[in-house]
Amino acid sequence: MSDAISHEALMALMDSWISQGRAVAGPVALKSGLCLYLPIVQSKRLRLDTSARPRNSIKEFLFPKHETLCTFAFDGKDVEVADAPLPETETILCGVRPCDAASLPIMDRVFQWDDTDPSYAKRRELTTVVTLACTRYDVYCTCTTFGYSPSAHEGSDVLLVPYGDGHYEVFCLTEKGENLFNGAVQPLDESAPVPTGPDKRFDTEPIQAFLRDQFDAPVWSEIGARCMSCGACAHVCPTCHCFDIVDEGNATTGRRVRNWDSCQFAMFTMHASGHNPRSDQAQRQRQRIQHKFRMYPERFGSILCTGCGNCTRNCPAGLGVLHALATIDETIAISQDKANS
Amino acid sequence: MIKELQELSRSLLERGVVHGILGYAEGASGAAAVQIFITDAKDVDKLTWNDRCFSNLAAYLSRAEIKQRGKIGIVVKGCDARALTVLIQESQVNRANLHLIGMACDGVSEPWAAKCADCDTHVPAMVDDVIGQASGSPQASKERYGAIRSFLDEKSPAERMAFWQEELARCTKCYACRAVCPMCYCLRCIVDKNRPTTIDTSATLKGNFAWHITRAFHLAGRCVGCGECARVCPAGIDLGLLNQTLAHAAEQHFEYRAGCDPEKMPVIGCFNASDQEDFIR
Repeated sequence: MSDAISHEALMALMDSWISQGRAVAGPVALKSGLCLYLPIVQSKRLRLDTSARPRNSIKEFLFPKHETLCTFAFDGKDVEVADAPLPETETILCGVRPCDAASLPIMDRVFQWDDTDPSYAKRRELTTVVTLACTRYDVYCTCTTFGYSPSAHEGSDVLLVPYGDGHYEVFCLTEKGENLFNGAVQPLDESAPVPTGPDKRFDTEPIQAFLRDQFDAPVWSEIGARCMSCGACAHVCPTCHCFDIVDEGNATTGRRVRNWDSCQFAMFTMHASGHNPRSDQAQRQRQRIQHKFRMYPERFGSILCTGCGNCTRNCPAGLGVLHALATIDETIAISQDKANS
Repeated sequence: MIKELQELSRSLLERGVVHGILGYAEGASGAAAVQIFITDAKDVDKLTWNDRCFSNLAAYLSRAEIKQRGKIGIVVKGCDARALTVLIQESQVNRANLHLIGMACDGVSEPWAAKCADCDTHVPAMVDDVIGQASGSPQASKERYGAIRSFLDEKSPAERMAFWQEELARCTKCYACRAVCPMCYCLRCIVDKNRPTTIDTSATLKGNFAWHITRAFHLAGRCVGCGECARVCPAGIDLGLLNQTLAHAAEQHFEYRAGCDPEKMPVIGCFNASDQEDFIR
């Protein structure tokens, strides 16, 4: 016996969340070929087929691209500092891809590490994630390579699996999820078909060993030569979380803010002395892959990537994690051939 | 055309006419072609040409590993060749160090091809070799700056402001637009300066407006409409509409079009007493 909801009932439920004053966001088809996770004020704006993967991720609803940390005001030699108020609005993210939701337990580890980030923690508490299993995937989708699937549960409070006839099977995975869909589901005899994802693209273990043992491999020069040093990959990535803290204001008042950064920017590791330990793009590209596939796993036990493919999809030069790992995979294969011959 | 390109490249490398070729290689299945820089004649088979060769390769010319090779060949479409002309006018590249391989282009495919709808340089000018012939496709029939003109004529200032507020709100300050632009070659970009800060780095409406309007002004009379900024924007912001507006203004007020004549002084690089000033009010 399965729990199910019709598309119409789901839309009505969403409109009721909105009228209750909750913030709702999900995939919106903005213009031809462009789908983004955006806040909505009407359920009909939401696009609930998985034919287009949003070009962004849901991290901005928990870790905004710009956030005020505190405000300050000078009064002679004195300064008054006030913490920015924490958010209070309940948020529901609906139609989230499982590879986006899977980023939340991964990012929880760093945002609640030796110190808990108050803003992230509060937003996490206020947010309920309703995922939609993917019935389609494209050439960039790589979730299965990293242990996920089109109907993965990680990070999700409620998983909707399409029957294909305008109904969704509803799996409430957490108490938050149960509270949200309480009374909204109907019983159905059959289960929805389990969607299959892409085949695994490569074995991650030899790649991780390569990253550990061949830090100075020349492969990075080839990748760095094509990289244009923008922040697109980091910004669209569900798990990238580097940020820059700056002060904005004038001689009397200001705010200390936190903005998304990117390890691919030339200035990312620029020291005040003028020295830059990662002064060329090869070093910067290496750093991103090392962080995601070796350093973060060593420290936190999980790969800092869910295989969503957004980096490669959005990269102006066709790089991203998929290209880097494929290149390393090829390098390993070539050296194995040489060793065997 | 691909075979011709590969043979020409092999010949140029083998004869020592150039010490490298900056061109396009196949990307992932169905995706955009990617940049490749080959220095060995045996690698010419990697060069390709198709309707997914979107990138403006002129943006790579400032790279150390490319500059240090001396004279190189570069594969260009009409829009790319115009970008190179601007770089030559601005003393950023030495024409003598480039062998331009012009590709006749009927347009690069939708959905990013708004720039191709009103293109009139299907065969690149001022190049050393031309490969292929343009078929004079229907894409050339639209009037240049048509989209900009309707936007300016049909929408009130309040409507245009509302449009840009919605578009620019999505910007995350990834600077992909700057990274792919051949004209953005400043060693220290104004947005990276912080003593003092001129443009907020924050992705607020203020920070986003300041960045995009400043960049549009810095491109006045320099933007050739290669369309890369709009193509690469992860937030899908219609940057072509913004950046080409001042190109339109340069043509309208000063009869100047970027990248068409290497002998002409850049429009914001010179002043004549007869320049009209009636738009300053």
